[in-house]
This record gives sequence, C-alpha cells and structure tokens, in this order.
Amino acid sequence: MRSTLARAGLLMPLTLFLVFFLVIPFLNIVILSFYTYSPTSIWIPKLTIENYRQLVEGSFITVLLRTLWLGLICTVICVVFGYPLAYFLARAEPRVKSVGLFLLLMPLMVSAVIRTFGWLVILGRNGLVNNMFHAIGFDRVGLLYHEPAVIVGLTNVFIPFMVLPLMASIERISPSTEEAARNLGASWFDVFRRVIIPLSSPGLISGCLLVYSAAISAFIVPALMGGARVQVLGRLIYDLLLISYQWPLASAITTLLVVATGVLISVALAVTRHSAKQEVSR
Amino acid sequence: MIGPLSFSVGAGEFVSLLGPSGCGKTTTLRCIAGFETPSDGGIYLDGDRIDARPPNRRNVGLVFQNYALFPHLTVFENVAFGLRLRRCREDELKQRVQAALDLVGLPQLAERFPKQLSGGQQQRVAIARSVVLEPRLLLFDEPLSNLDLKLRVMMRAELRRLQQRLGKTAIYVTHDQGEALALSDRIVIMSNGKIEQVGTPLEIYERPATPFVADFIGSSNLFNGEIVANSATSTSVRTETGLVLQALPTPGEIGSRVTVMVRPENIEVASENSTNVENLISGDVEEKTFLGQDLHLKLRLSEKQALSIVLAGRTARTHNAGDRLTFSVARSHVYVIKG
Repeated sequence: MRSTLARAGLLMPLTLFLVFFLVIPFLNIVILSFYTYSPTSIWIPKLTIENYRQLVEGSFITVLLRTLWLGLICTVICVVFGYPLAYFLARAEPRVKSVGLFLLLMPLMVSAVIRTFGWLVILGRNGLVNNMFHAIGFDRVGLLYHEPAVIVGLTNVFIPFMVLPLMASIERISPSTEEAARNLGASWFDVFRRVIIPLSSPGLISGCLLVYSAAISAFIVPALMGGARVQVLGRLIYDLLLISYQWPLASAITTLLVVATGVLISVALAVTRHSAKQEVSR
Repeated sequence: MIGPLSFSVGAGEFVSLLGPSGCGKTTTLRCIAGFETPSDGGIYLDGDRIDARPPNRRNVGLVFQNYALFPHLTVFENVAFGLRLRRCREDELKQRVQAALDLVGLPQLAERFPKQLSGGQQQRVAIARSVVLEPRLLLFDEPLSNLDLKLRVMMRAELRRLQQRLGKTAIYVTHDQGEALALSDRIVIMSNGKIEQVGTPLEIYERPATPFVADFIGSSNLFNGEIVANSATSTSVRTETGLVLQALPTPGEIGSRVTVMVRPENIEVASENSTNVENLISGDVEEKTFLGQDLHLKLRLSEKQALSIVLAGRTARTHNAGDRLTFSVARSHVYVIKG
C-alpha cells in the first residue's frame, strides 16, 4: 500500500504541472468555444452552439480537408523515406548508427523558425534551387507558397518521429528470421513485405500517429512556407485568435482538432493493444 | 580469415563439420547457403556452380540454431512460407504442408504460433519448413545446441532417421563431438579455418591424422617422442620422459619426431598370468574417480608424465589412490601420429 502511494507520489510533480498548464487551460478553451462572440468585448458568457455551426459552413471545411490531406501526404512520404532509413540504422554497426542518429535528430536541435528560414533560402525566388535552374537556362519558378513547399518542410521536421519508433521495432526482429526467409526463396522485396513490415507494424503505427498528429497541428512551417495560399488549421486558429480576435470560434476549432487527434490515437492504440494481446496469448 | 579448404559430399551422405568455436565451420556453412561470399574458389552442387547465386536462388534448406521461425505466422503458415513464394496451388500446398508436419510428428499443432511451442517442437517446425521445399541439400547450423541434454539425444536419433528416410544430402555443423560421431557418415574436423582431417567417425577416432584431432575427439593420452627402432613387426617410440612404447609397424625414419596416442580405455591392468604382455607401464594412482559404469584413474608415471586410464567401474574396490600399479597396452592400441 505504502509503496503504491510512494510511487504515485513520483508522478505528482508532472501531474500537477499538466493539470495547471494543460488540462485547466484546455477546459477553459472548451468552455470558451460555447460562449458567444462579441465584436466589442471578444466574448460574452452566453452559451451557444453558433461557433460550431459556423464550422459546418463557409471556408472552414476546405481548410480542414487541406490540413488532413497535407498530414496524410506528409505521413506517407515519411513512411516511404523512413522505412529504408530505419532499416539501415537498425542493422548498422554501433558507430555508424550513432552518427546516423545524430544526423537524423539534428533538425530537431535547431529552432523551428531558423530551420524554416533555411528552406526559404534554398527554395526562394533567388534561392539555391532557382539559381541552379537559372544557370542551366530555365526560368525562375515560385517554389514557395504552394502545398509542395509545405510538404517538404513538414516532412523534414517530422521524419525523425517516424524513423525512431520504426527503428526500435526493426531492431527487435532477429536477423536470422530474415535469413530464414531468404533461404526459403524470398527476394529482398518478399522479405520486406512478408517479414519486416508485419513484424515492425507496432513501430509503423506509432510513427504514423506521431507524424500525422504533429503535421495536422503544425503552425510555423505552413505559415512561413505556405504563405496566404496554403491556409491550414494551426494558422487559421492563430489568425482568428490574434488578428480578428474571434476567440470563441478559434476555441471551437481547437476543441475539434484536439478531439479528432484524441480519437485517432485511441483507435490506433486499441488496434496495437489488440494485436499485442493476440501476440501474448499465442 | 578461413581456408583455403576443400571437401566434397556424396549424394545422400551425412557429413558433419566439427570443430571448436571460431574454427570457421559456421562460416563455411553460410558460404554454402549464400550468406557469406568466399573470396576465392567455387561451390558446386550437382555440378552447378552456386557460389554467385543469391541465397534465395539456391534451394538449399538451412535449419538455424535459434530456429528462426516467423513469430507472426502459425506453424502451418511457417511451413507454407516457401511454397507460397513459389505460388504453389492451394490444394497442393495444404497437402504438402500436412505431409511435412506429419513427417516431423506435429500434425496437430498446425494452428499454433511459434511462441506456444517448446524448443524441440520449434526445431521440428524449422525442419519441416525446410524439408517441404524438397531442397537439393539440407544444412544444419548447430540445430540441437539450444535443447536440453535428453531432448538433444532424442532429436539427434530422429534427425538421422529423417535424413535417411528422405535420402537427402546433409551438412551438419556442430561443436559437439558426440553429435558428430553419432550422426555422420563422415566428419570434417576443422581448426583455425583449416581442415584437420576428413574421415568416418571410426577412422577419426582410431586413426587421428593430427595431434589436434587426437586431443579433440574423445580423451587421449598423447606423448611427444621420436622413433628409435623400426622393424617388420613393430615401431618403437621413446617419449620425451623416457618411456619406450611399441606400436604396430609405422613407416618413418629413425629419429623422426612423432606423437603417440593411447586411448584411456585401451589400457589394461597387467596380470601375471596373461601372456604376451606388451608396453608395461607402472605408476602411482594419483586420482580415482568412480562414475558408476566407469572408473577413471590418473596414474603418475614421473614428475612430468601422467596417464589417464578408464577401467570398468566394478574394479573400483581393488584400486586405491596411492597404490603402485602396473598396466599394459597392446601394440595395436598404440597409434603413432606424424609430426
């Protein structure tokens, strides 16, 4: 009993911190999302569902769908680029692995704003890529402020979140299992499809969850690289809060985003737990 | 770095690669399976050169030490894995998988997952998974070393029966001389990446080619010495400690350096009424270990020389530590190894 209490005590500092600085503010946002907008005093405490009704109509749906779509594309690209990299790192000798991990995590050590400005330098109208195009006789093109630029930026930031859980999963697959498959006639492609992917699916699911939920709530990259043309939820919330002061509407969008992410994560966790349970009962 | 080495295996033969860890036996096997590439030379299977082919295009069945079953697939699907890659028809696939599981005695476990099986059962699934593809050659990489002793002895007999029933050529890697002696038609003994001797179990036990083989297989008393006389009926060797032993005639110059091997079980107590007593050896019993069926004695001949002796356990009562005893060895049991 005592030790249970003592162990619970270890969780107290972080729990208190999260309650005060995350749970209570978020509940505040939920409440705000049901208050009425007022152009003069921002909100008045009169309950309404008007904010949510506004979401159904107008341009919000477009922004929502674009955000989810960008998140999906970004996740797919992270899977395609991340799997080979994760496999390479999982099977690399320790020295190569530590250098590789350092390189992989380096983007996360730089401030998001600075990293994004780096992309502006590379992709801008007078940037590296355009200068190269120009030098070999092509016209300069607008690479920034379109969806592809946002996808490049998001993939760059979030790929470590895909690679790390995948790598951890692949490391647990015994190399002799792969050799057994090869011995039984499997090509590298067969080994990947029939052995590596099924056995690393927990890592794949966590990686997709991390990347997707981070990508749909991203703010800095879409704002700087997407400009006005690529409006996404994070940016929309920011604009509503700080430019047009429509706090109740911004709160409604925030609530929706958090609930959607929560549902997504619960479903994915339920799926992995189910397959993990099956694995144990086997 | 192993090799250069060369050996051949006849059709239907069971050949073991035996040696201490690090001798290159597993590397040799992995070269045959295609997981390592020899820097020089070739590997031929039924006249086809296979060393440039990727592992999935060789059709040699490999059974791993840690079984290497697919944890996400049932026993049935594990065995069916190779057949599915070959796009085998569903009805034929079912029948072949069932036949393979019958062969290894696990027909009732098809729907289980590997984690639900014991070590021995997993090993049988691994064997079924290879055998079902009718490989041109079966390779075993220490397949029994993760099993406990009793199961190991049982599985070893079963493996031999299975191999003979299928008539498949098999190459078996082990560091356990008991396994190699019990299973093999021939044994390749390796050390430091080189072949020490190739021969039948009996040849290797009775006529080891090198002192390493004599020491590695079974227990033996080895004496360094030189040939002092050679006649039509016997060869005499004087050991470094001055003992002179008569052996069957062995070609060799007088004065050439040799090693003499005497197996502990070939040493007998010298009795006064026995005729034709050869190679009398006297010494003090230093250690006596009673093991039931056997009695092990360590006989001190001189300060530098001791002799291991194995007698029948029932003689335990008559020999005690400290006794001075005389033993004899027939010259047919004194084996001279060159070099």
